[in-house]
Amino acid sequence: MANRRSATRRQYLLATGAAGAAALAGCVDDEDPEDVEGNGDGDGLEIVHWWTAGGEEEAFNALVDGFEEETDYEANPNPAPGGAGTAIDTEVQTRVLDEDPPGTFQIWPGEALRTYTDADALEPVGDHWEDGAEDAYLESVVEASSPEGEIVAVPINIHRLNNIFYNTEVLDDAGVDIDGIESPEDLLEAFETADDAGYVGLAQQTQEPWGTLQLWEVVFTGQHGVDTFQQFLDGEAADLEEEINESLSLLEEYSEYFNEDAGTVSWDEANAGVITGDAAFHHNGDWAAGEYQGAEDFEYGEEWDYAAFPGTDGVYTLVMDSFVMPANNPSPEATEAFVEYCSTVDAQERFNPPKGSIPPRTDVPTDEFPPFLQDQMEDFEASDEQVTSVSHGSGLEPAQASEVEEAFAVFTDNWDPDETTQDLVGIF
Amino acid sequence: MDFDIRRLLDRIRRRRTDTEQNGERSVRTDGGTTTERSGRFSKMRHSDAVQALPFWLPPALLMGLFVYGAISWNLLISLTDWSGLEQPVYTDLSLEMYTQMPNDPSFVAAFRNTVVLLVAFTVVSLLIGLVLAILVDQNIRFENTFRTIYLLPMALSFVVTAIFWSWMYNPSTGTINVVLSGLGLDFLTMNWIGDPRTRLAAIIFALTWQFSGYAMVVYLAGLRAIPDEHYEAAKVDGASSFKMYWRVIVPQLSTATTSAAVVLMVFALKAFDFIFVMFGDTPGRSADILAVMMFRVAFSRTQWAYGAAVATILFLMALAVVGPYLYMQYKRGDL
Amino acid sequence: MTAAESAETTSREQETSALKGFDTQRAALYTVLLGLIAFYLSPLWGGLTTAFKTDTGFLQTTPLIPPTPEWFTLEPWELALATMQGGLVNSMLFVVPATILSATLGSLAAYGLTKLSWRGQVGILVIFLAGVFLPYQSVLVPLRQFWSAVDLAGLLAFAPFLANRADLIELTITHTAYGIPICTILFRSYYKTMDDEMIEAAKIDGASAFGIYKRIVLPLSMPMFAVTLIYQFTQVWNDLLFALVLVTARSNYVVTQSLNELQGSMAQQYNIQMAGAFIAALPTIIIYIVFGRQFAQGISGAS
Repeated sequence: MANRRSATRRQYLLATGAAGAAALAGCVDDEDPEDVEGNGDGDGLEIVHWWTAGGEEEAFNALVDGFEEETDYEANPNPAPGGAGTAIDTEVQTRVLDEDPPGTFQIWPGEALRTYTDADALEPVGDHWEDGAEDAYLESVVEASSPEGEIVAVPINIHRLNNIFYNTEVLDDAGVDIDGIESPEDLLEAFETADDAGYVGLAQQTQEPWGTLQLWEVVFTGQHGVDTFQQFLDGEAADLEEEINESLSLLEEYSEYFNEDAGTVSWDEANAGVITGDAAFHHNGDWAAGEYQGAEDFEYGEEWDYAAFPGTDGVYTLVMDSFVMPANNPSPEATEAFVEYCSTVDAQERFNPPKGSIPPRTDVPTDEFPPFLQDQMEDFEASDEQVTSVSHGSGLEPAQASEVEEAFAVFTDNWDPDETTQDLVGIF
Repeated sequence: MDFDIRRLLDRIRRRRTDTEQNGERSVRTDGGTTTERSGRFSKMRHSDAVQALPFWLPPALLMGLFVYGAISWNLLISLTDWSGLEQPVYTDLSLEMYTQMPNDPSFVAAFRNTVVLLVAFTVVSLLIGLVLAILVDQNIRFENTFRTIYLLPMALSFVVTAIFWSWMYNPSTGTINVVLSGLGLDFLTMNWIGDPRTRLAAIIFALTWQFSGYAMVVYLAGLRAIPDEHYEAAKVDGASSFKMYWRVIVPQLSTATTSAAVVLMVFALKAFDFIFVMFGDTPGRSADILAVMMFRVAFSRTQWAYGAAVATILFLMALAVVGPYLYMQYKRGDL
Repeated sequence: MTAAESAETTSREQETSALKGFDTQRAALYTVLLGLIAFYLSPLWGGLTTAFKTDTGFLQTTPLIPPTPEWFTLEPWELALATMQGGLVNSMLFVVPATILSATLGSLAAYGLTKLSWRGQVGILVIFLAGVFLPYQSVLVPLRQFWSAVDLAGLLAFAPFLANRADLIELTITHTAYGIPICTILFRSYYKTMDDEMIEAAKIDGASAFGIYKRIVLPLSMPMFAVTLIYQFTQVWNDLLFALVLVTARSNYVVTQSLNELQGSMAQQYNIQMAGAFIAALPTIIIYIVFGRQFAQGISGAS
């Protein structure tokens, strides 16, 4: 998901290259039956998504395979990556506005749905979830799927945002005790210690504002708790000026321990510093673990490990993806079948291991998942509180989320907590 | 079809005129008196207006629909409160979108940057273009090659040049910093487009690279139009080259300057593609311009009415630049 | 030939006084001119060398140095072309008709506004002229509304091949409409200087306005058609904004869109980005090199 804005995507290039060749063939040979289907008006189910690289692509293909095996329908995936992640929004919004929506499309649940529910552009899909599926979901996840009360989305995966990853050897060498870090302020001290030992404190990217935004979200939650963060999401920023300023100030102090090239690298390049042993910590959603698992001689529990972000034990900050059923649907039956399939154990068991996320259903067998994700699944079930995030769409409606992101673009420019506090307060 | 009928009518009319005046069908080539001829021409002039219609009217209608129709529609949309994924409602119109602008820090920043970009880019491009034109005008060999290369960037898409320049500005391996450290100017190396203090300047520099060749072409035409005697006269006076250009030649280039400036300013207002490719739709407050903001607000956030209002401001800015220019041209009879 | 040599030869052509000071001045002039060439070509040069380097190659060498055999590779070009070939085809499909249409309509309009004399031309002309300077932003939202209301894909449902390309047809018509003003201006400035004698003669001969256009004006317009077509082709080919707003189906992405997408998804792969940039720029570069004079004429006519 967050990798939708990531770098180094050879596989993606090759994949779209094939698509390009197909398009080329299609325009020479206009009798090609596939070509006639156009935007998916044919029998297939058009699925607009942005999973076009690496594990994400693998996960999506596994999901599509499962869907085609379990039902009689054929999927017609329509990837819309690029445009720094805005491509899919623009494309889907335009088509919904034109009443020519795809069969289904990928979207963050929660407030991101608001754009569409406000326009009555989504059909309720609660009835199409598999029987009993709802009981297997945590309440907070069901809530995120029903911004207006009725379920309009089916979540397919959950990433956790409040992690802090670290290189165990670097921590040992620098003399940092992870168990002693109990608050975001403690973490700053740990950065200092690592820095004194010659390591980068926090491997981070500030090239795109969402990296700083998501860090602020967990720092804020760590300092002031989930309820206060929820207050922010509810638009009460004006009452939280002091808290916001405090967390931004801490973030400004953090920024002195970022890698020097933070402003020009992508998150995975920054994260590489943890693998090579140049950096101590990395904050990110658990998609970052995919990088570690892909690295050689870099074992979970041995060379790398993670903890809940300091101050957020028992909290699971949710980053989810879901599918929806647009109104004026060109293929209602296929979409219903797809929604139902996404709510099954089978779909979530196929999709999540390669995606590096955990299933929203809590009754999915853990055998297929690597140890790290098994631990996350345990944490998830045991978590007392779940909260959504702004940086990944579920926390605020899109226009506000975009303004928050803009405020953080300014913050990464000048690191001025006072100005950004005012910017954030001014949004609501 | 249409033409034929009109031609037929025309012929009939003309024949009648001829017959009336001469009492017989005139031989077209040489016959007739002067008075008769002028009479025929004024008739033809009149019919010319009708004859001209089928030529300019269809293109004018197509253009009028897309340009003026769209601008009016845009103005109308900017008076609604349309946002989201439903269709606009045109009943409750207000200036709300415009009144909220001064309180929107993001608009204020984008407006300021747009003005800075407009002025700085235009002035710098004109200066460099003038220098280039004077250098190229020194009766040099391979003038054509030099000119071609200076103008080449203008043939490239903003998408292409944005990609080139983001590589040029790369802090570790980009050409700019590599050259600077090669010259021993390490202290000048910067993260040009990463650092908010230099971002807008870096954009202006790259755009100047792309368009100064244009100013050169315009100035070169201007220089060539100045009679040689002016140069000679200045030389006889014993003026140095610099003084000669400053005192005698440059003042004669005011027409070229005006028209190049207008076109450059319009380019600057259109610099959307470049910034969008380099930074996406949220370039940060240090480099945001109205053109990018308009796109972000309307197409990413679906705040259509506000986007349309920002677009109207952009349109008015273009009008403020072009209006006086066109009026001036009209006054001079250049139209 | 070096700067010094060329300076010498040029100076010899100059009149009598081959003063020493003059020679150094000449040499300085050529040094500056060549330095400027280096500046104007450096982004292209840096891009070109990078496009032929492997990943480690472009990270470990400077962009100023061409790739050594150790770092040389064609892979970036293959990868970039693979992503962009659909875009290249789509761009060709819509840019060529849009260019020809706007040039033709511009020529017709300019004829109607010049060669046939009638009052009120200037008023009409100003309307055309103002269109040249319009920022596209000020029409984007209505444009999107307009095309969604027209539903071209639906209208063309009888011909699936066209219906699938509806986005491109929309782009063609849109670019044609916005190209008309500049084309008209270019042709008009040309027609104003055209010799009227033949036209007058043909008028006296009873030729219709259309006949005059077809038999006299059009054949004489060919040089201006070259200028206009080249100008318009470059403009339309290079545009991203209209395509961003009008083209939604991925299969219809035009070349600037696919290049933008390539750049977004290959954030740090500068070699692939550079190869892609050159692929997208190639048609316009070729046209520019072959028809440089017409290009210069087009852009200076635009003012």
